[in-house]
Amino acid sequence: MTGQNRILSSTAERAYWLGRYLERADSTARLVRVNSRLLYDLPRRLPLAWQGLVNITGSRTLFDEHFDEPSEKNVSRYLINDVRNPGSLINSLNSARENVRTLRGIIPRGSVEYINEAHIYAKEHLSEPLSRSRRAEGLDEVQAFIQRIDGYLSANMLHDAHWAFLRLGNFIERADMTSRILEAGCKDIFDDASDLEPFTDIQWRSVLLSLDATQSYNQVVQGPVSQEAVLEFIVFNPQLPRSITYSLDSLRKSIRALPRHDRIIQAVNRLRREVAAQELNRMKIAAVETFLDDFQSELADIDSSIRRTYFQYKPRRRRKG
Amino acid sequence: MTIDWRAYETHGFWDELITANGRARRGAGNLTRMLAELTDEELAARRTAAELAIRSMGITFTVYTGEGSGSIDREWPFDIIPRLIMKKEWDNVSAGLAQRVKALNRFIDDIYHDQKILDDGVLPREFIEKSKEFRIECRGISPPESVWSHVCGSDLVRDADGQMYVLEDNLRVPSGVSYMLENREVMKRVFPELFGDYVIHPVDDYPRELAACLRSLSPKRSPQIAVLTPGIYNSAYYEHAYLANAMAAQLVEGSDLVVDSDDKVYMRTIEGFVQVDVIYRRIDDLFMDPEVFNPESALGVPGLMRAWRAGNVALANAPGCGVADDKVIYTYVPDIIRYYLGEEPLLPNVPSYRCVDKEQRDYVLDNLEKLVVKPANESGGYGMLIGPKASKAERDKFARQILANPRNYMAQPMLLLSTAPTIVDNPGKPGAVEGRHLDLRPFILSGKKTYVTTGGLTRVALRKGSTVVNSSQGGGSKDTWVVDLE
Repeated sequence: MTGQNRILSSTAERAYWLGRYLERADSTARLVRVNSRLLYDLPRRLPLAWQGLVNITGSRTLFDEHFDEPSEKNVSRYLINDVRNPGSLINSLNSARENVRTLRGIIPRGSVEYINEAHIYAKEHLSEPLSRSRRAEGLDEVQAFIQRIDGYLSANMLHDAHWAFLRLGNFIERADMTSRILEAGCKDIFDDASDLEPFTDIQWRSVLLSLDATQSYNQVVQGPVSQEAVLEFIVFNPQLPRSITYSLDSLRKSIRALPRHDRIIQAVNRLRREVAAQELNRMKIAAVETFLDDFQSELADIDSSIRRTYFQYKPRRRRKG
Repeated sequence: MTIDWRAYETHGFWDELITANGRARRGAGNLTRMLAELTDEELAARRTAAELAIRSMGITFTVYTGEGSGSIDREWPFDIIPRLIMKKEWDNVSAGLAQRVKALNRFIDDIYHDQKILDDGVLPREFIEKSKEFRIECRGISPPESVWSHVCGSDLVRDADGQMYVLEDNLRVPSGVSYMLENREVMKRVFPELFGDYVIHPVDDYPRELAACLRSLSPKRSPQIAVLTPGIYNSAYYEHAYLANAMAAQLVEGSDLVVDSDDKVYMRTIEGFVQVDVIYRRIDDLFMDPEVFNPESALGVPGLMRAWRAGNVALANAPGCGVADDKVIYTYVPDIIRYYLGEEPLLPNVPSYRCVDKEQRDYVLDNLEKLVVKPANESGGYGMLIGPKASKAERDKFARQILANPRNYMAQPMLLLSTAPTIVDNPGKPGAVEGRHLDLRPFILSGKKTYVTTGGLTRVALRKGSTVVNSSQGGGSKDTWVVDLE
């Protein structure tokens, strides 16, 4: 026997980032698609604030460096096909592709091909200038690609530690993105918010839409769309695959499959308890925003603790000189 | 129209399957008869089956394009007519190879210790000192079993008289063995019936033998073995991954390894640092350890030489073993065998001229149009002059190079490499069978014991008349059958 086969930190890290980039590509496509859809539901006199999307991705400063105004065209270009934006759809797919190249032998061949195809497709079909319908069609197709990749991986990849890291990447990214979408829901999406009472629900309906959760909401909540009910549903529902609670539970499940996980599990449990303790329906909107901000920074702590534990640890002793 | 062997032309070359008068060579009858019974459609269908098998098994090699991403993966070019070698002949070749590698390992060990062979004047000291592959950093190091080249790939060719010669020894990081293994798998799918007609000696024990050889380099019972690759952009990455997988060893890149202050090598795993006992390295010496060799190397592991010198890790092949596959040193191998083993070489070298010797150099310069001139330290067929095919200007250029640096060159007569029937697509006539030149690369493992592959990798020059068999330059391959006659 040649000793037991181990999981290298380097391949684990690539699997983790593959998971994050695939999820990020998916949520970016989701965000732009939903905002486009909102346009149809709003009266013409209401200008939709596209800058909200840039804020969600947390890269307002970079956007402002390259564009004068957050117009529909600029924002969708920035989020979809701009190589200067590290979080753009095209860059996420490209990074996924780069990671997968170095994971040959670990990631099933079929999914490697899908990832390459998704990248090629996005490059060819999602370059500005794009009509709204072409953009919607292209984003739908990219999402279909990602569904296919997810399905293929889940059905064919060895569910070992590499898989656990891939899922870890998925759910960290997902929990983060869901909280950002909720945060965006808390903010005004219109440039001018006066006399808009009849349309505020639209904002929360768009939150549901962007998480593909409208149908589930109707099944579970069985009431009209309201801020309180949507927040409760998206934060707490343990069965909704994009809820915060579900993401944290999945995160915990993936980490359990890994060695040396005690401290990370503790951190996830702590966060899980904090989330569960929120009384969202009694909180002012500003408090909800603070909660979501804190959530994101604690998630970032978990992410860096994963990296320190599994990817970037140092030799025990440094050589002198 | 089916294959008509009587119409098959050998053009004065030694053909591996067919004699000059169109008969099957001894042992090849079942094969040639079966091929002749196939219709063109059936033959085409077998070729397609082979292509499909290669694609679905994902057998590729990487070609550098020098643009964009820098490299692309191509499917492995494969000819479905196997090359046959009789077991009896192979046993002799195999003994000759084992003898040769044993002597070469003794030679390398001597060069890095007492240099008795130089003291005794068998070959000039300056040859070693001026060799690009001599590593002064390796002096005084004693690797396990005194073996330096654990995996050697020697290239054999057969001349028009039917004699096998050793063309060169690749003692550093020879590649191709995975293709030898995969070729056999493809053939089993394409011609399963032939495996009933013949007693074909299996080749698939190689990964097990390689793992055993590597294990024998460590005192531990269950040593941790790693295959060190430069990464996915390397042309032999497919093989690195294949062998690691087949041996259940860990495939690592330099950045996965770290040498700690205890001079031991560890790999970074998700469970923490795990000690590595044996490294089958598939990167060049000079990139192995930036502390000692090329400081710019990002492929290597700082401190690896330190760990090796301390005996905490075994390196296969050992750094510095290239000193013996210098093409000028090659010309001395028969003397090296006699010197260390007191035996006559069982396998002949191709007769060679050393340009450093005035008399031999003059002969080379006067006969460049008949000779192949090789630089001491190139591989893959690069930097050679093929005299009969070169222009006057190219020959003159080489003559100047030889005069400027005679130590760096040796020359050999142009061999008439043997051929074997190969399916080729000629314009207007796809699927024709014609002779193509080939060579053979067997692999020799040296650890506690010696092992020689059964046959090896047959490489074939697919272009008509060409003798360049390298896959990077239009070469393909064939399965190699070592067969017993009942």
